[in-house]
Amino acid sequence: MRILKTIRSKAVWQLFGLSLFIGYLSFSMSACSGITCPLNNTVYTIYHIKNAEAAVDTLRDTLSVSIYKAGCKDTLLLLNRAIGVVKFNLPISYDNDVDTLLFQWSDSCTDTVWVAKTNTPHFESVECSATFFHEITSVRSTHKGIDTIVINRHSVNYDATKEHFHIRFKAHP
Amino acid sequence: MTQRKSISTSASRLILSLLLLLSAAATQAQGFLKLEKDSIPLFRGFSVSFDLVGFAQMQLSDHGEYEGAFRLNLHDQYFPIVEVGLGRANHDYDDVTELRYKTSAPYFRVGIDFNIMKRKHTGNRIFVGVRYGYTNYKIDVSHKNFVDPYWKTKVDYSVEGLACYQHWGELVFGLDAKIAGPLHLGWSGRYRFRMSHDEGDLGSSWYVPGFGIQDSSVLGANFNVIIDI
Repeated sequence: MRILKTIRSKAVWQLFGLSLFIGYLSFSMSACSGITCPLNNTVYTIYHIKNAEAAVDTLRDTLSVSIYKAGCKDTLLLLNRAIGVVKFNLPISYDNDVDTLLFQWSDSCTDTVWVAKTNTPHFESVECSATFFHEITSVRSTHKGIDTIVINRHSVNYDATKEHFHIRFKAHP
Repeated sequence: MTQRKSISTSASRLILSLLLLLSAAATQAQGFLKLEKDSIPLFRGFSVSFDLVGFAQMQLSDHGEYEGAFRLNLHDQYFPIVEVGLGRANHDYDDVTELRYKTSAPYFRVGIDFNIMKRKHTGNRIFVGVRYGYTNYKIDVSHKNFVDPYWKTKVDYSVEGLACYQHWGELVFGLDAKIAGPLHLGWSGRYRFRMSHDEGDLGSSWYVPGFGIQDSSVLGANFNVIIDI
């Protein structure tokens, strides 16, 4: 009888030991749950250059783009002397209602582009950088060198596969 | 999808496969859905339990749960269970991202465990089970001194009281050992998978009460102190 009790007791503790092991295993494996920050974690706009037939075109004159800030002499260059490209990327402000951009050509001719948008805080995890997503509501420009600029995609987020603007330049800005 | 997420997903799938294999083998051997024919009555009482893992997490980290459960014992074979808890996260300041995250909300899970041991009436139990979980919670996320890197303006990045909800499922494998009298101690490993969720326009939430740190699926564990009543 005593032997039987001892065996039962051993079985209980063995079972408990096994349970601790399985528990430890599950708990340690739960540490594998990783950070889910997206690899592409930048938010910017893509401008695709088009010709009069709405086909892909290239930038034929040197173009620089900078931020215009009222009352501020210093301007930050976003695109420096680009030429021969079919598209280019420009950052978008976190919380401005309208971004004002200066498109400058090699002959000092300058166009102003206004991009109106909404700004929504975006969050992935406390381990991932905070950012904003946007919905472009309208775009307009002066027309010294720019012929037309239209919205192709309103949502600006981590998806960098689709262009947001189709822009057509005049033949000789 | 990140590389880390791929590793996590692979690990989750491996554990899930092992659990399913184990439970399938046990099922085949036991026929556990059949009620064992003996003189033991169907209703064998109930038990209450308290989870120590969530409690320890709450004390040692910035998130965790206070969780208790009520479980019926039907013939030492079927164990319908209700788990209720309060999940909290207070990530005050992240050194790298400078983000703050706060939430506190109740949650519940309902489900059933099956005792797959051959000798079901010994008081020791090996379980496989399923759960359905739900929580409705609000989150606060903020970042002080958030500066736009191009426009150089200080930006207000703050979301307060954003209402979110989540439905999720769990596959459970657990062991209970009878220690003395009505006292049992037991572990359960859980594979959690999100079924539906809503975080408004924010994108994601980080900690979800009862589910844990957010991912599409996560592994978890409970260590329960169980009293048979």
